[in-house]
Amino acid sequence: MRVTSNSFPTRLLDQITRLTNRTNQYQTQAATGQRITLPEDDPASMRRVMDMQGEGRKLTQYADNIGRHQELAQASYSSLNATKKIVDRAGEIATLAGGVNSPEQLKILSGEVDQLLARAVQFANVKNRNDYLFAGTKSDTVPFVAVKDAQGRTTSVSYQGNVDLAESEIAEQVTLSAQTVGANTTGTGNRGLFVDSQAGADLFGHLIALRDNLQSGNVAQIQSVDRVDIQKDEENLLFHYGSNGAAQARLETSLAVSKQRLESLNMLVSKETDVDLATTIVKLTETQNAYKAALQSGSTILHQSLLDYIR
Amino acid sequence: MTGLGLFGSLSMATRSLSTARAGTEVAGNNLANVNTPGYARQRVSIVTSGSVPSAFGPQGTGSMAVGITSIRDTLVDGQMLSELSVRGSLESQQQGLQYIQSATGERLDRTGADTSGASNGIAKDLSDLFDSFQKISSPNTNDPAARQTLVASAQDLATHLNQIVQRFDAVRSGIGNSIGADVTAANDIIDQVAKLNSEIVKVEVGGNGRANDLRDARQQKLEDLAKFANFSVTETPQGASNIAIDGLAIITGAVVTNRLEAFDAGGGQVLVRALGTATTLNIQGGSIHGRIESRDVALAKTRGEIDLLASNLISEVNAIHATGFGLTGTTGNDFFLGTGAGDIKVNPALKNNLQLIQANGVAGDVGNNTVVLKLAQLGDKPIVALGGERLGGYYAQAIASMGQDLKTINTQIGNQDIVQNMLESQRDSVMGVSIDEEMTDLMKFQKAFSASAKMVTTIDEMLDTILNMKR
Repeated sequence: MRVTSNSFPTRLLDQITRLTNRTNQYQTQAATGQRITLPEDDPASMRRVMDMQGEGRKLTQYADNIGRHQELAQASYSSLNATKKIVDRAGEIATLAGGVNSPEQLKILSGEVDQLLARAVQFANVKNRNDYLFAGTKSDTVPFVAVKDAQGRTTSVSYQGNVDLAESEIAEQVTLSAQTVGANTTGTGNRGLFVDSQAGADLFGHLIALRDNLQSGNVAQIQSVDRVDIQKDEENLLFHYGSNGAAQARLETSLAVSKQRLESLNMLVSKETDVDLATTIVKLTETQNAYKAALQSGSTILHQSLLDYIR
Repeated sequence: MTGLGLFGSLSMATRSLSTARAGTEVAGNNLANVNTPGYARQRVSIVTSGSVPSAFGPQGTGSMAVGITSIRDTLVDGQMLSELSVRGSLESQQQGLQYIQSATGERLDRTGADTSGASNGIAKDLSDLFDSFQKISSPNTNDPAARQTLVASAQDLATHLNQIVQRFDAVRSGIGNSIGADVTAANDIIDQVAKLNSEIVKVEVGGNGRANDLRDARQQKLEDLAKFANFSVTETPQGASNIAIDGLAIITGAVVTNRLEAFDAGGGQVLVRALGTATTLNIQGGSIHGRIESRDVALAKTRGEIDLLASNLISEVNAIHATGFGLTGTTGNDFFLGTGAGDIKVNPALKNNLQLIQANGVAGDVGNNTVVLKLAQLGDKPIVALGGERLGGYYAQAIASMGQDLKTINTQIGNQDIVQNMLESQRDSVMGVSIDEEMTDLMKFQKAFSASAKMVTTIDEMLDTILNMKR
């Protein structure tokens, strides 16, 4: 092919432009560490990365949800512990009453049970972040309301909440609630913590009965009925200990799984988007060398012509 | 008769001097135009100037210059017009798609705090919206801060969708303006080609030889025109180039038979027709074609997809939200207002009173999160109207599809570069000026001139000798 005077500069310019573009591309890759930045760089990878980013954000949110559930589960657990102490003491008093003959001593024990009852109501109405913990989904309603007589003694405790629980996602399409309802007298559904007809538990009713029987000196009733009833309350609490522990264990596992998936996702995103820095630097150096060579050879050729040799 | 004789020889030397001078002038002209765009090197045509009878048989009478020819390859010239049209179209499409890509704002940046490379595009806003629903559902339905976050993230998404549509509208309007500018520039070139046609015909019909420089200038103008629109060229026996676009005659001889006109076909859709006619020209190449294509295909497609995403987001969220109850017991309110990406917004009533957000499944049960849980799970729900994709997945696919279109165009431009470089090399090898060649020609004709001059001197001396024979 015939090569003309403009062939060299045209070709050189074209080569230099291509090498400059390539240098810019490798320099950007080396500076950002990324193989792709815009959708046009690798559309299929971009789609996969966008999906993974979405999944990553969701996993982070699931971890937040799990954190919130753990907080609720731990708050419930604290209330369970406090209630357990009340039930334990009530059981002790019921047992102790069998060996006490003095009506005065029984009345003193009655007074203590009345105090336990007041504390139990207080624990049952505990709040977490402005929500009542044991009101079911009626979380803005005081769950347990004590009815008092003229002497200020609690005669009954009524439940204002419901038996529903708010579940939320801890993984895709996996929901869980770490809450506990305060009472359930329907015989089905979520077990109540303080009152549950399935378990025969009625902590407030049983404490009132114990207090009244201690007050009236009805030791036989205490021994035959109240002790057994309080035993049922204790068993109901143990059931909830189990449920709470199982929920916390499940939350821990879910959190660990979420974190693991998040780490794998980060690795996958890295695989899709990141450059191999060593390869990029080598390619950048190669391109720079080619660029220098093009400039040097170009300047040598362009400076020479027949004009240098004729007089 | 014995040959030319001394005076005949003197005439021959004079012709030789003229021929050598013409050769030097043409070489000089080539050297002067070495960097002139579109210039084709010229050569002086030299022939022997016939013979005269002599005692020894026919005797040569030297040489003479009979014309100057421009060295062009019409096949390559034609191909160049076609390839320039293709390139003009591809570059305009690339530009349009780059605008669309920028308008979406989707880019990966793993150097920031978020190492997943999350951008601030719609994908993140969608995730943020569903995360905000999650925050309320876990279980925090009456938390004002969580409700505030939900409204803020929903408004961010809505505003972002509005902005994208505004940017798309600006791109669309900018493309319309560019088509108008292209048409003006094309009309200007059409005028110049018609004028050049007129001049070429005048020169060539007058028997003054081929109008090489005018033809070069016309080819250059035709190549400029090809960047705007593709056209067919027919050369008349008189030397004029007749031009037709989409079968419609634009230049016939020296007359511009039709001018181009950009017009609004409705809704800001700027198209091109012949001035004074009603029929839209179906231009299949050049930047005008590329701009129309990027607006009516790529931009329309991406905008349609963003609109479909927004309309489904509105209908799906509202359908669930309407079944819920606010903290004050209200029900049936829409969460989003609007019909598409252009006008989507959060219901102002909810923004003004966060308690109206209908997150609860039962009136009065502020902890009942069944409705907001469904809203949170909506992000994972395949939607039939979106081809079974999730909202986020559909958007990601729309972005990937737009990216693929741009990548395809980038590749085509790369291929076009190769084709065009080859054509340019091919053309340059035929019509390009080589300084070395011209310098050699210059020396060659200079030597011939010197030799012819020497001959004149020799004949002169011979004549002197003859005249001095008689003392």
